[in-house]
Amino acid sequence: MRGLFRWSSKWWPGTIPLAVLWAFACWNGTAPLESDLAARAAAALKDTVLDKAKIAAAGRDITFAADAFSEDGRRSAVASVEAVPGVRLVNDETRLVPEAKPFVWSAERDVVRVTLGGSAPLPAIKGRLLDAARNTLNGVEVADRMGLARGAPPRFDAAALLSIEQIGKLRDGKITITNNQLSLSGMARDLGGREAIAAALKNLPEGFSVAANEIRAPPYIFQAYKDPVASTLTLTGYVPDNNVHAALVASAGRKFFNEKVVDNLKTSVGAPVGFAAAVNPALGALSRLSTGTLVVTDREAKLSGDALYDAAANEIRADLARDMPRGWLAKPEISVKPAPSPVDATVCQQLFNDLLGRGRIRFEAGRAAINSDSAGLLDRLFETASRCPTVTVEIAGHTDADGDDHFNQALSEKRAQAVVDYLVKAGLPPERFKAVGYGSGQPLAGNDTDEGKAQNRRIEFLVR
Amino acid sequence: MAYLATFHWGWLLGALLLGFGMGWIAVVHRGPGISRSTARWLAVLAVVVVAAALARVVPGRPGYWLDLALILLAVYLVGCAAGSWLRDRVIARHGTAL
Repeated sequence: MRGLFRWSSKWWPGTIPLAVLWAFACWNGTAPLESDLAARAAAALKDTVLDKAKIAAAGRDITFAADAFSEDGRRSAVASVEAVPGVRLVNDETRLVPEAKPFVWSAERDVVRVTLGGSAPLPAIKGRLLDAARNTLNGVEVADRMGLARGAPPRFDAAALLSIEQIGKLRDGKITITNNQLSLSGMARDLGGREAIAAALKNLPEGFSVAANEIRAPPYIFQAYKDPVASTLTLTGYVPDNNVHAALVASAGRKFFNEKVVDNLKTSVGAPVGFAAAVNPALGALSRLSTGTLVVTDREAKLSGDALYDAAANEIRADLARDMPRGWLAKPEISVKPAPSPVDATVCQQLFNDLLGRGRIRFEAGRAAINSDSAGLLDRLFETASRCPTVTVEIAGHTDADGDDHFNQALSEKRAQAVVDYLVKAGLPPERFKAVGYGSGQPLAGNDTDEGKAQNRRIEFLVR
Repeated sequence: MAYLATFHWGWLLGALLLGFGMGWIAVVHRGPGISRSTARWLAVLAVVVVAAALARVVPGRPGYWLDLALILLAVYLVGCAAGSWLRDRVIARHGTAL
């Protein structure tokens, strides 16, 4: 032992190379040691829920900054960094995530994207909400403006997930959760969407309630466009049910004798009261126009286009206003098409034949009253008759063979006269027309089938 | 400590070998050693520095460098002691053999 003391007085020269060794060790070892410790600390925090965690090592000291979601979580995070082997000191810069009061979360949809905003209680819940939004709105851009905050009400995530589902049913709008109150505004994507949202809100998690539901339904729109060039009538928009749909298309087929009906209608709930009663006469008015558009929005029918002549324009305006059901508003914007050029008698006859070949003038069964579905055809016959102002026209009525001959003869005469009266009332001179009835004496087809009978019941225009 | 030892085992081995060599030489070295008063001052200095390291008063990188220096020095001293003791044994056996 005494020897050791004696020898130790001579050990000092070795400290000089030792110092050099130390300097090298410091030079080479510090950065790897720091990154190794930082990595170990980060690994120790892997399973801890933190926001904005930041770990910096200086030598063996770790500066640890993070936002924790509870005091316990904060303490255990600091403890697990302290427990990392090799760590000398931990500079604890952790704090609790701020508490939001009130706790507000929102989802807002506009034309291009859905923005999730406000506060989420945990990063995992935030991620779940974003995923849910992306799944529900597949294809729509989802923007994340959510921050993290404490103070969410219990079962917040379920309420937010339900809200995200509802955002999918909106065209635009906003759903806000403030503490445990939901408020909704905006417009539903489809008809019936508002009702679907109201039904879904009944499944809100316990403790949540709806403070305000101001979701509006989209307008109930029905449109008909008469295209004279393509000879089509295009129906788009909504109808209340399949029965109304079928009835409407059938009625359009009768009224538009010259046009092909293109049916793009969809069935949907939410129709205004009196929908069918309003659309039917409005379609009749449209059939009398040369070209035109009918737009039925909620309780308003807007008809625009060109009538064939002045009297028709006035009549269409008056009829549309009269035929609308109670509470409905008619907005006719009718102008008059310029009169076509005159033609000679032969062409006139051809035009009559052409028109009557495509459509028939309809009467009420067994009576001489002209069915309103034929107004479009009569307007065209009027227009043609006014193109050859010098000729006299014989208007001939024919019936099928059903019933008594005398009755048929009288009926054919009365029907021919009704057509003459229509044309005269519309403004043509009475002396140009001669009403003649032929009863069932000149059938075009056999009277043994319904089809044949229908062909035989007819009005003919003969230029004399 | 265990972490530093595993992380810096190469440097520590170097210090140990250096100490062993120094200890080996010191037994037969005829030059002057450090005086008793210097040794006392060095001992006081060592106590202060060790106390500073244990109290962790030096922050950040300098703190780490201090720890490393003390560990290297400790290993060096162990090497010196081992070297001197072995050399002494070798000389003693040689002497008796004579």
